Amino acid sequence: MRRLLILSLLWISLTAWGQRYSAFIETSRASISGICVLVSDSTSTIRGSLFNEFGITALDFTYVPAREKVRLHSVMPALDHWYIRRVLRRDLRQIVPLLTGADKSVTHTNERYHITYTFTPLPDDSEE
Amino acid sequence: MSTVSAQTDEIARAAAAVKTMECDFVQTKQLKLLNDKLVSKGRMYYRQSDKLRWEYRSPYTYTFILNGQKVLLKNARKTDVIDTSQNKIFREIARMMMSSVVGDCLGNDKDFKTAIATTPTEWVATLEPKRKDMRQMFRQIILHFNRTKKMVSSVELIEPKGDKTVIELQNVKTNAPVADTLFALD
Repeated sequence: MRRLLILSLLWISLTAWGQRYSAFIETSRASISGICVLVSDSTSTIRGSLFNEFGITALDFTYVPAREKVRLHSVMPALDHWYIRRVLRRDLRQIVPLLTGADKSVTHTNERYHITYTFTPLPDDSEE
Repeated sequence: MSTVSAQTDEIARAAAAVKTMECDFVQTKQLKLLNDKLVSKGRMYYRQSDKLRWEYRSPYTYTFILNGQKVLLKNARKTDVIDTSQNKIFREIARMMMSSVVGDCLGNDKDFKTAIATTPTEWVATLEPKRKDMRQMFRQIILHFNRTKKMVSSVELIEPKGDKTVIELQNVKTNAPVADTLFALD
């Protein structure tokens, strides 16, 4: 029993990971910056959060790689409109797979709506 | 927990005596959905009555300068100067940051319902926003005051979904000269 527990914990520690990025989102009219944190567990579901530098959350989401599906859990009131949620879901579905394991900046452009997303990995000292 | 009382007056008097302030800060963002946290660090400078520099140095660089009605936002890619009289969101953020740092939001009955608890070392003020736009951002703002110094030692910002940001002020120095250039908007 104890061996099983140890093996389970070892499996979780080997398969779980977390990544942090500075995020910069630019549209034709405005730009915003912030921080993006992604965490994956042993189920391989990726949970993500985007918030500004002061810590105020803009959105929380999960991404299931097997189904390529993004679910938005919370969206700040200014962005909480069905048409914005749809764009965010579609863009995150493209962006999150690019970010997993990325050790360099990742840029994604939504050509239709002229939105450019840039994510740059943060140094490890953000975790203490 | 008592209602706002004599402590508010004491804190207000102490805040009025703070002409300048500078300190290090450690900000810990706790992410409920991710069961994770992000720690960022920086330095803050304040000069009465309307100048504030809030500078993140690690793990990212980001500078927020409030000087009168203007706010400068500088990240690694861009610098913006915003007139808070024309931007409601930034007016509120600037007002909130400034009043939290010196603790003068306690007497603001119009915007917050306030209660104060006393511990042997601290006064803990819990502010609940009354206005809808503020309630959408914060469920509660909790200010911890050092009873000896009558100054803010940490601020907790609790969001409606349960995420929490704790800002601890360290190595606080008051009423020492603070250079004008720190608040420059160019």
